[in-house]
Amino acid sequence: MTFSAKKTEQRDLFRGALEMMILQSLRQQPMHGYALVQYIRQRSNELLQVEEGSLYPALQRLLKEGLVKAEWELSASNRRVRTYRTTPAGVKHLEREISSFERMMEGVTLVLSPVKA
Amino acid sequence: MNWLRQIFLRRRIFDDLSVEIEQHLEEKTEALMAEGMSRKEAAASARREFGNVARIEEQGREPWMWATMESIVADAKLAVRQLWKNPGFALATILTLGLGIGATTAIFSLVNAVLLRPLAFPEQNRLMWVKQQDHSLPGIVPESLSYPDYFDWRAQNHTFSGIASYDGGGVTLEMDGEAQRLDAQMVSANLFQVLGVAPVRGRDFRWEDERPGNRTVMLSYSLWQSQFGSAKDIAGKTIRLDDHSYVIAGVMPKGFQFPLEGPTPALWISLSDEADSTSPVTSQRGYDFLNVVGRLKPGVTIEQARVDLSLIASNLAKQYPKENKWYTSALVEPELQHMVGDIKPALRVLFGAVTLVLLIACANVAGLLLARGSRRSAEFALRAAIGASRAKIIRQLLVESVVLSFCGGVAGVGLAFGLLRGMVRLMPLNIPRMEGATIDGTVLVFVVAVSVVTGLLFGVLPAWRMSQLEPVQAMREGTRGVAGGRGQHRMHNGLVVAQTAIGLVLLVSSGLLIRSFVRILNVDPGFDPKHVLTARMRVRVPFDPLNHDRHVQFYSQLLTRLSALPGVQSASAGWPLPMSDTNATIRFRIVGRSIAEADLPSESVSAVMPGFFETMRIPLLSGRMFGEKDDSKAAPVIMINQAFARRYFPGENPIGKHIQVALGDGVIEKPVREVVGVVGDIKRKGLTADVEPQYFLPYAQAVITNPFLMIRTSGDPSNLEGALRAAAREMDKGAPVYQVSTLENYVSKSVAQPRFQTLLLSCFSAIALMLSAIGLYGLLSYMVAERTLEIGLRMALGAKRTDVLRMIVRRGLTLALIGLGSGLILSALMTRLLSGMLYGIKPSDPVTFAAVTGVLLIVSLAASCVPAYRAALLDPMETLREQ
Repeated sequence: MTFSAKKTEQRDLFRGALEMMILQSLRQQPMHGYALVQYIRQRSNELLQVEEGSLYPALQRLLKEGLVKAEWELSASNRRVRTYRTTPAGVKHLEREISSFERMMEGVTLVLSPVKA
Repeated sequence: MNWLRQIFLRRRIFDDLSVEIEQHLEEKTEALMAEGMSRKEAAASARREFGNVARIEEQGREPWMWATMESIVADAKLAVRQLWKNPGFALATILTLGLGIGATTAIFSLVNAVLLRPLAFPEQNRLMWVKQQDHSLPGIVPESLSYPDYFDWRAQNHTFSGIASYDGGGVTLEMDGEAQRLDAQMVSANLFQVLGVAPVRGRDFRWEDERPGNRTVMLSYSLWQSQFGSAKDIAGKTIRLDDHSYVIAGVMPKGFQFPLEGPTPALWISLSDEADSTSPVTSQRGYDFLNVVGRLKPGVTIEQARVDLSLIASNLAKQYPKENKWYTSALVEPELQHMVGDIKPALRVLFGAVTLVLLIACANVAGLLLARGSRRSAEFALRAAIGASRAKIIRQLLVESVVLSFCGGVAGVGLAFGLLRGMVRLMPLNIPRMEGATIDGTVLVFVVAVSVVTGLLFGVLPAWRMSQLEPVQAMREGTRGVAGGRGQHRMHNGLVVAQTAIGLVLLVSSGLLIRSFVRILNVDPGFDPKHVLTARMRVRVPFDPLNHDRHVQFYSQLLTRLSALPGVQSASAGWPLPMSDTNATIRFRIVGRSIAEADLPSESVSAVMPGFFETMRIPLLSGRMFGEKDDSKAAPVIMINQAFARRYFPGENPIGKHIQVALGDGVIEKPVREVVGVVGDIKRKGLTADVEPQYFLPYAQAVITNPFLMIRTSGDPSNLEGALRAAAREMDKGAPVYQVSTLENYVSKSVAQPRFQTLLLSCFSAIALMLSAIGLYGLLSYMVAERTLEIGLRMALGAKRTDVLRMIVRRGLTLALIGLGSGLILSALMTRLLSGMLYGIKPSDPVTFAAVTGVLLIVSLAASCVPAYRAALLDPMETLREQ
């Protein structure tokens, strides 16, 4: 899974970041793969750009873990697409991940902020 | 069956994934077209933004896989296809590996059967070999126990749950008027209990069976089958053995064997017979001949047992100084360890040697792979270009190597089967448990392990090389058909040097063993073993004073008959027979020297019929030989050998001196004997054994046992067996003739082990020599093929054919010389490990080193000449045109 911050050199995000974003997006609304890429790109103000393909291995991992499920459906544009939605286990997992992510960010922020005299 | 369902499910999942990705690209393309791109541009752009479709699909499949396992299987399938397409290469590698793995496997099965496999007794690690230590001599000198010693040890120890005695011998079984000689063991009543094996029929021995009058016998399964038709009601029946009637206690299980060394006993006899006489051997302390095996109590250490028994021994030494003065401590060793102790170093060396052969095979195959790899560099560059990671390429190449070495392993198992059969059948050798050497589960596990390790070993260098390729350059080179950089050559050269060096080590080792073996064969045993037939025969009267003269008469008459047979030059009899593992040492006093009873010396005794020395061709050095008139009524006489004279009569003339030997036959008891002759020394134990002092008594003045007959013939001695049996039948129909063999056969058996290791090691080094030659040849051929263009150019620019020839040969010889140099250093270090196996030759023997180096140099030269010659014959115009 490669993720690139726009206009900077390629850099791997930490493990699980992509999964978290996918789960969060799918919790808002069920989507198929292509839509998911567009959604993540818009929501990040185009700052983050998923290499489109890298989404699919991540989705397969989530499927295997039972955190999302997929079904073939007809989309709004009348296309037969495979729509993913979160499962209850997925939601629970996401919440756990977010809280631990926030704790981690808090720590990182503290370290990075200027030292107070 | 969950995994099965998963496999079907997975098909669907993977299909879904492919469709999904396809649609993603489609949707993207349409979106881009809506922005105004052409379809072609849009499709390309969609793919670019999507990333590597194949790789992403693969990554998407990964979560559903038993990760690496399955991709390895896929790699393996690919590898098999690759090999199929390239049968010549496959065959060459598989044969090379098969040779290496096969030899290693054969030796490993030997090591497994002899050294590793536990004894077939319950909790066999508690079984101990037990002896007493003879402190009259330096070093560890095990001495057997006498019955009284054994009984005391058995009763007084606190550390064994049981100690049992056994002693081998032959008995004559008489059934339906037929007599046959069987191997038997005289055993204490608790032997089977100590071993932990119960009879399958009847009962075990009881303590009463040791008392006089209770002659009892236990049958082996095979004797029960062959002689008693597996009769169910066999227990309690009686049979006749050596003119006594025995009650059959029971039958031991199929396959039960004890002791494991020596001939397999057909039956086991209780001690009752030993106890049944006027002066029974069971009460003679000082008559030390018993073998003893004990079972430790649970939790007792070997050291505790040793201390325990040593205390008993030292008490006995104080109590019975006349017999036991020097036996003040005990020796305790695990039975298995004791049994295989002698053969261990030889097997280790052989195993080391095959490992080296395998290493050479590995180097060879690695060389082949390198050469092949350079031809395949384009293929791998392409793989790298379309997204295979370095790790993946390495993995695929390693899987290919392991697949190759597995094929080699299969070939090797086949070869090992053949080798083992040859080893067990063709070599008359007393390695205990050797006949049990088979390709069993342990060996197969070993083969698998060796195959994997071998595959990785020879695969890792080439694989690493391939993964270093720069795709762009490699592809460009690949299309031109020239590849392989400087690094690869260096690696390939290194391999050839290494295998030459290892090959030299093996050749030097086998050269040393061969030279040592030739020395052994050239040892003069002191007698002439050629054209002599030997056998034993039992006279059917007991050894007691009443029958004394009948024994002597019987043999005199028999020898007269035998001497008269056509083709017989002379015939005699005597006991023991050299190199037949029979021996007895008996104490003696030299008249006129005052020595305390307990300090009397003891040497090997022989009892011989007239004509013994002439028939054996042992030279008389002074005095006279025994004659017909040295009978029981004549003055007692004795002959000694040179070593005896040197030790006990240094600087004196031994003839006419008097010696009293502590041996009587019931008629003449421990008489003072006059020394009448001195004969030459003989090798009693084997060709490599030291010469020992020996003394000889006339059989008529020392009737102790059934002597060996020895018949010197003018032709092939084994042709005389029929005539011998006929003559024996004429003398006594019921007396069996047994242990019929040529004297040469005994001598040959005594060198069986050096022959065995020499032959095997020579085979291995022959293989090594061949492989090293092939390795060098392969490298140079490859080099010539690769440098065809260059060679063509050189010749076009005026180089002569001889220049080309010299160039290639020089390269070959340079490598060979570097290999030989390092090999010589290695050999100097390694051959020291052989010193225990060499006879009359130093591990650093310069002749061997020089000769072997010469051989390897010549072979290397030959291996270099063929490709060099081929290069020299190149037609420059043609090669240039082709390029």
